[in-house]
Amino acid sequence: MNPWPAALRWLRPSRLLMVGCALLTAWLVFVPLGALFYTAFSEDTPFGPGAASLANFVHAYTDNHIPLLLWNSVIFATGTAVVTLLLGALVAWVVERTDAPWRELFHTLALLSFALPGLLTTMAWMLILSPNIGWLNTELKNLFGLAEAPFNIYSMWGMIWALSTHYFPLAYLLMGPAFRVLDVRMEEAAVISGARTWQVATRVTLPLLRPAILSTILLLFVRGLESFEVPRLVGMPAHINVFTSEIQNATQDVPPHFGTAAALGMMLLVVCVVGVYLYRRATTNAEAFATITGKGYTPTPQRLGTWRWPVALFTALMFAIALGLPLFTLAWQSLFQNATPPSFSMIGTMTGDAYRYILRYPIFLNAVRNSVFIGGMAATIVVGLTFVMAWIAQRSAKRHGWILDSLAFVPIAIPSVIIGASILFAYLVLPIPVYNTIWILLIAYVTMYLPYGMRFASGGIVQIHRELEEVAEVAGASSPQIFGRVLLPLLAPALLAGWLYVFVLAVRELAASIFLSGPGTHVLGPLTLTMWEEGGSYGAVCAMGMIQIVPLIVIVIVMRRLEERVSARR
Amino acid sequence: MLQVEHLFKTYAAVGSAKVTAAQDISLSVPEGKLLTLLGPSGCGKTTTLRCVAGLERPDSGRIVIGERTVYDSNHGVFVSPAERGIGMVFQSYAIWPHMSVFENVAFPLRVSRTRRYNSAEITVMVAEALKTVRLGGYENRRATQLSGGQQQRLALARGLVAKPRLLLLDEPLSNLDAKLREQMRFELKQLQTELGLTAVYVTHDQSEALALSDEIIVFNQGRVIQRGTPLEIYQHPNSEFVADFVGSTNFLRGSVRNGGEIGSIGQVETAQGTITCTFAASFSSGSKAVISIRPEDIGLTAAGAGVKGAVTARVFLGEVIDYHVNLNGQELRVRHHARHDAHPVGASVMLTLPPDKAMAMVDEASA
Repeated sequence: MNPWPAALRWLRPSRLLMVGCALLTAWLVFVPLGALFYTAFSEDTPFGPGAASLANFVHAYTDNHIPLLLWNSVIFATGTAVVTLLLGALVAWVVERTDAPWRELFHTLALLSFALPGLLTTMAWMLILSPNIGWLNTELKNLFGLAEAPFNIYSMWGMIWALSTHYFPLAYLLMGPAFRVLDVRMEEAAVISGARTWQVATRVTLPLLRPAILSTILLLFVRGLESFEVPRLVGMPAHINVFTSEIQNATQDVPPHFGTAAALGMMLLVVCVVGVYLYRRATTNAEAFATITGKGYTPTPQRLGTWRWPVALFTALMFAIALGLPLFTLAWQSLFQNATPPSFSMIGTMTGDAYRYILRYPIFLNAVRNSVFIGGMAATIVVGLTFVMAWIAQRSAKRHGWILDSLAFVPIAIPSVIIGASILFAYLVLPIPVYNTIWILLIAYVTMYLPYGMRFASGGIVQIHRELEEVAEVAGASSPQIFGRVLLPLLAPALLAGWLYVFVLAVRELAASIFLSGPGTHVLGPLTLTMWEEGGSYGAVCAMGMIQIVPLIVIVIVMRRLEERVSARR
Repeated sequence: MLQVEHLFKTYAAVGSAKVTAAQDISLSVPEGKLLTLLGPSGCGKTTTLRCVAGLERPDSGRIVIGERTVYDSNHGVFVSPAERGIGMVFQSYAIWPHMSVFENVAFPLRVSRTRRYNSAEITVMVAEALKTVRLGGYENRRATQLSGGQQQRLALARGLVAKPRLLLLDEPLSNLDAKLREQMRFELKQLQTELGLTAVYVTHDQSEALALSDEIIVFNQGRVIQRGTPLEIYQHPNSEFVADFVGSTNFLRGSVRNGGEIGSIGQVETAQGTITCTFAASFSSGSKAVISIRPEDIGLTAAGAGVKGAVTARVFLGEVIDYHVNLNGQELRVRHHARHDAHPVGASVMLTLPPDKAMAMVDEASA
C-alpha cells in the first residue's frame, strides 16, 4: 500500500538527514587532515605545496634539535600529567568520597578554573613567578634577603606548574565519576575480612581505581602534548621548545615552512591519536568494571571526623593558590599601568585607566564582537548538528549510527594547533574564499568542538527513555510535535549546557585561532597574546583579561545550575 | 555469643540537628541461633549491625562477641572490625570485580591476622567454602561473570571461609528477584542450621524474617519495639506498629469497657459492636484501644453465629480468596481458603472474630 517506490523509500528524510550530517562532518574532519598529509608529503614552495616529496620529513627530523624537542615534549607532558593527577585525585577524593565541608564549592571552583583561559592564567603566573617582575619573587627576596629569585617560571618546572594548576580540575572531572561509583562496601568487605588499612588500599581500592587512574594519566599526557599557551608564552622565552610551539614557529618563519610544520604535526597527531584510542579503550573497560555494583548501592561518604576541617582547609588552600593567586594577580595588575607587586601602600595609587583605555581601544572592541559572534555561531551549529546526529545515531539508525558517532569524535584526538595549521593549509589551496575571513575561524571551532557537542547531546538523549517518545506517539503526536513538546523541553538543559560549554571554549580559543586570525579578523585569544608580547602595558592586558573572566564566571555558575537540574531529574 | 547492651548512636545530620539512629538497643544471640533485626528503612537496624561489625563507632554502650568485649564506652574499648573475627554479607554483595572467584573467597585467609595460611590450606578452604554455597568449580571465573544469585553465594562463601564466630547479613537477598529470593532464603536457613552458624540478619522483608529467624527484633525509629520468636511476633504483636508491619491485619478502634491486665480477655466497644478480645497491654476502663485481627483469623460463613456484613469485593489469589467485607461502615479484609464455598459480591455474610486472635492494643493514633 506504500505509494513510495522502493528507491524513494530508501531516501526517506531521516536517512537523507543522516547522510547529510555524515558528509558535512566528514568534510570538516577529513579536509584538514587531508591537507595536512598533502602538505607534509609535498615539496614546500613559496607558492604552496609542490611535487610529492619526503623532503619535509628529512628537514624536520634530521634537525639536531629534534631529540631535545622530543625530550622536552615528553618531560613536559609527563610532568604535567603526574602533578595534575595528584592534585585532581585529592580533589576527587575530597568531593566524592568524604563528608568534608565545602564540597559543592570545590566542584564549582574546579569548573571555574577549567573555564578560565589558559592564556590568562599563564600570564598571571608569569607576573607572579618571573625572576624579574614576578611579585612573589620580589616579596620573598625582600623578606628573606635573598640575592636571587627563588622561583623561575622560565623553566621546565615553571611550565609544568603553570599548566598543572590550570589542568588539575580536568583530572578531577575525569576521575570524579570513578571515585563516586566506587562502592565503599568493597572496602568495608575487605576490612571485615581482616585487612589492614594498607592492604585495603593496595589490594582493593587502588586496583579498583586503576583503570580510571591510568586512563586519566593517558589523557592528561595527550592534553599536555597538545597544550599551546604555556609553551608559547613561557617556553619560547625560556628556549624550551615542544612540538606545538615548534609547529607554530615553522609557520611564522619568513618564508613560512608549512611543509616542516606539517611533518612535525604528523608525529604529534600520531601520538595523540594513539593516546586517545588507548584512553577510549581503557574507559570502556572501566565502565564494564563499574557495572557490577548495580542495585542496592548507595554512595556512602567516608566520615573524616576530626579531619573534616583540616582536609577542607587544605583543599581550599590548594584552590586559593592554583586559582585564587592568578585571579588576584590579574585583578590587581589591571589597576596599575606597570608591573606592581601587591601591597597595601599601593592601594591609594590604583587607577581605572587600563579599563578606560581598553574599552575605547577599537581593535579590542572589534575582537570582542568577532569572538562573541563566532563563538555563538559555532556553539549553535555544533549543538544543532550534534543533537540531530546523536538522535539519529541512537534512535532511528541504530545500525549505522556508530559512523556518525565516531566521525564526530575524531577531532578530540587532533591537537588544536594541528587543526588550526591544517585548516590554514586546506583553505589556502581550496577555491573556497574563506581565508582571512572570520568564517575560517568558524570552520575551525565547529570542527574542534563537535566531540564536546556530541557528548552533551548523546548524554542528554541517553537519559531520555525511549518510552517517553513512544507514549507521545501512541497518544497521537506527530514527529514534529514529539520533537517540540517532549524531546526539546527534556533536553533543553543539556543542550543549553552544551551550548555554553562550546561558547566558552570558542571565545577563549588561542592555539588554532593564532593560525587563522588576520589583521582584519581579530579575536580575543591571539589579540591578548599580541598585546602581551609586543605592546600595551601590563595593566591593559590584565584589564582585557578581567573583562573576559567576569562573564566566564557568570557562565560557569549558570552551567552549574543546569548541571544540578539535569542530575536532579535522573 | 553476641551481646549488645544499651547501644546508642546518633548522626550529625544537616545543620546542627542530630539524628538518633539507635536508642538504647540491647540484644543477645545464643550460639548457633539466627537473630533478625526487622523494620522499615531508617529504623536503625542497619546502624546496629554496622556497630556490631565495627564499621560504625557507637556513642555509648557495650558489645561482646564470644568472650571478648569489642566495644565498651565506659572503658574506652574499640576493637577494629578486622580483629573482631566476623564474616559479613553486604546488600550490594561488594564482590571485588578485579579478582577471580577464588581470589575473592581467599582474601580473608590471605589477610588473616590470627594465623598464616599456606597456599595448600587456602586452596582447600576456598574449595570447601565454594562447595558449601554450591559454587564448586567456579574458582577461575571472573567475579563479574557470575549471575546475581551466584554473586550472592560468592559473597556468602567469602563471609564463611575464615570460619567466623559470627556472621552478619545486611539485607543479603533484597537484590534478587522474587523466585530466587525464596530459594536462597531456604538455602540460607539450611546452611545456617547445618553449620550451626551464629548470625544476625537485617531485613525489611517480614516474610524473610518469619521464615529464617530463631528470634526477631522489630525496630522502629531507632528503638526496639518487640522481640520474640516469629510465631510470637506474628500472633501476639504488642503494638499497632508491629501488627501492621508484620503480615497484614485489620484494625478496629474503640474504647475498653472494663479494664484488665495484659493477657486477660476483655471487651472493647467499637462502631462495629462489642468485641471480645485479648488484651495485649493492660487497660483501664474507658481507655482507647485498637483491635488487630488478621484476615485469615476471621471466620466467614453464609449464615450462622457472628456479626453481619456484606461482601463488597472478592480477589482470587490461587490457594486463597481475599474478601472485602463491609461491617457497619468499615471494610475488613477476610482471607478464606479457596476450597470453601465462594461468596459472591453483594452477598450478606456472618463474621466471627475469635477472642484469642483479636488483640487489643494501645491506640497510638489517638494517644
